[in-house]
Amino acid sequence: MTILKKSLTVAAMEAAQSPESGPQTLTVSVGPQHSGSGHMRLIVELDGDVIVKVAPDPGYVHRGIEKICEVRNIIKNIPVIERPAIIDSSNLNHAYILAIEELQGVEPPLRAKYLRSLLNEMNRIMSHLYWLSIFGVFVGHTTMFMWPLGDRELFIDLAEQLTGARITHSYIVPGGVRRDLPQGFAEEAVKRTEYFEKRLKEYDKIFFDNPLFSSRSKGVGILPREDAIALGCTGPTLRGSGVDADLRKDEPYGAYSKLDFEVPTRDEADSFSRAYVRMDEMRESCKLIRQIVKEIPAGPIRRKAPIVLPRGEAYSRVESARGECSFYMIGEGGDKPYRVRIITGSYRNMAAIPAVLKGGHLADIRTPWLTLWNSVVRRDR
Amino acid sequence: MSAQKPAQQDEDPLEMLVGGLSVWVGKLNEIVRKVVDETPIRNIINWGRIYSMWPVNITTACCSAEFGAASGARHDLERFGVLPIGSLRQSDLIVVEGTVTKKMAKRLRMIYDQMAIPRYVIAMGDCAISGGLFHDSYSIVNGAHEFMPVDVYVPGCPPRPEALEQAIIMLQEKIRHSKVYSQG
Amino acid sequence: MSAPLEREETIIKKLKEQFPSDIKASRIIRRSRPEITVAPEKIQEITTFLRDQLGFDHANGVSGVDYNREARFEIVYHTSSLNNKEMRDLVLAVKESTPRNAPKVPSLVSIWPGVENFERETFEMYAIQFDGHPHMEKLFLLDNWDGPPPLRKDVRVPTD
Repeated sequence: MTILKKSLTVAAMEAAQSPESGPQTLTVSVGPQHSGSGHMRLIVELDGDVIVKVAPDPGYVHRGIEKICEVRNIIKNIPVIERPAIIDSSNLNHAYILAIEELQGVEPPLRAKYLRSLLNEMNRIMSHLYWLSIFGVFVGHTTMFMWPLGDRELFIDLAEQLTGARITHSYIVPGGVRRDLPQGFAEEAVKRTEYFEKRLKEYDKIFFDNPLFSSRSKGVGILPREDAIALGCTGPTLRGSGVDADLRKDEPYGAYSKLDFEVPTRDEADSFSRAYVRMDEMRESCKLIRQIVKEIPAGPIRRKAPIVLPRGEAYSRVESARGECSFYMIGEGGDKPYRVRIITGSYRNMAAIPAVLKGGHLADIRTPWLTLWNSVVRRDR
Repeated sequence: MSAQKPAQQDEDPLEMLVGGLSVWVGKLNEIVRKVVDETPIRNIINWGRIYSMWPVNITTACCSAEFGAASGARHDLERFGVLPIGSLRQSDLIVVEGTVTKKMAKRLRMIYDQMAIPRYVIAMGDCAISGGLFHDSYSIVNGAHEFMPVDVYVPGCPPRPEALEQAIIMLQEKIRHSKVYSQG
Repeated sequence: MSAPLEREETIIKKLKEQFPSDIKASRIIRRSRPEITVAPEKIQEITTFLRDQLGFDHANGVSGVDYNREARFEIVYHTSSLNNKEMRDLVLAVKESTPRNAPKVPSLVSIWPGVENFERETFEMYAIQFDGHPHMEKLFLLDNWDGPPPLRKDVRVPTD
């Protein structure tokens, strides 16, 4: 066992050595079993306490989804596609179905688009709350672990009423959605979102206004605007660095072109701003959910679509909770795709990990890293 | 070594003493094991183990979302004594949540070997039982039992938090009826 | 709607003016999805022009595709613009082909730093060499993976 351990870690660490490393730097392996955003290893080179270089070592959850998608029929791929981001599954599902519908030339009915956006917004809140709870406990605030998870159950109940499942909904299919709104859903949704907005103020009081947290995150892990753009960052990472890019406004899909909301952005580009952008996004999502249940038009929820992927290429993207998730699909006729290429928000944000952590202290490694919310499952696919 | 020995006769009583003591300690060990396993002391020790099972802080794959939800406010796992603690040496439960890739399997086995005895394994989710949704993938191991002994299997994709709670209760039942020294 | 494909056509026109013989093919799949096919030798010049003159400041992703029946690999770079608000929804696909038995293309890390991880993944999944990439090594696969590159079409999945 010790021989095995040595060969794996020493080889990887030697491979990650940089020109700056010398006798005074120490290479440390953080992970894969650690308290962080899932198991990924960071190979960190330290000069004293200061981080000189970081090389991420991903791949511990690589399941080969792109290969599996090529051998399954397009409907059977839906659960496989959802699994990379299980807490935000309907956004990935939506992107996949948008690509298929583009190739098939099918346009879903308007009511279906509203329902898709409704589930997307609920998933956005669920995903941000999960992030907030993990962030809270790993910064050391155990109340912040319990409260968001408890409030997240409110929205999981709503999702269960709508789709039948807690987190793996498989709700969006080519041509529309599977089920319609149950009775009494609109009143429940309004009640819960209003209660939740009050709770968000309490989160501010105990966590974001807490000097213990703000001293650990303000000014820590700066990602300047130009670097964020050049590295291809997306989602709250990008919006926390001052770029107001959000696909729901830039390239509207679903029902977003008909809904009224804002894109929260912050200019400070540090960990606090990346974290607070997500709080603002949750407030906007509550507003969106209320708008959708009020303005949803009547009509059918599904149009007939064949289980065939015609020849052609399509590139579709959605704004998921962690950033832009894009699908590049190539069909060749038949019911199986020829190629499914998935690039998720976390995969793009992985490029920012070395930039954000460099120059900081080892003890500060968690805050900026977690504000990137580099969910390993989503990244490794 | 032999050059430093003054005379063979001087070493013999010490060696005899040490040899005799180790035999006595061995016998004492056997007596303790027998006594503990056949008296109510076993129940007390098992009671202590059951109500403070601390899992390792490892999230293997997507089932970790439901493990997180189960530790959260509505389904609180801490009322069963389950509290994720940072150090490996202080944990006695490892929950394999979801798919195990080949890259991760080596590390999981290392973690399992580093945990102190007694240690228990819950295989959570279809992927940890048999590969699940990704059973034909090139990079995964079809089930946690391929490289670790598993105590409880929890089916589901992902299993509901209530299912995980039932798994904890089943594991508690299993420990309650088992011997104290069953793992060494 | 006035000239729905105007932006896309302007981009392709400017590229053809600047590189008259290097744009092998171009088409517009639909609104906001233009596509050009270039030779691998010229891709660095063309993408530098795209970044500096036309404002495509980041790469959305890199995909490798195995067209085994045509004996080639195709590498597709999707790029978009964040600084230019009117062009935020436009995604330009830059494609290049390389023969299947000796796949080698130049790396675009010096132009768009974000493609580093994507090119590494394409290397490990298809064994396509990217010249000039700082760390051409495995990203996701097992450390001592000795099997064939998994995403190639001749590697079969058990349930196929």
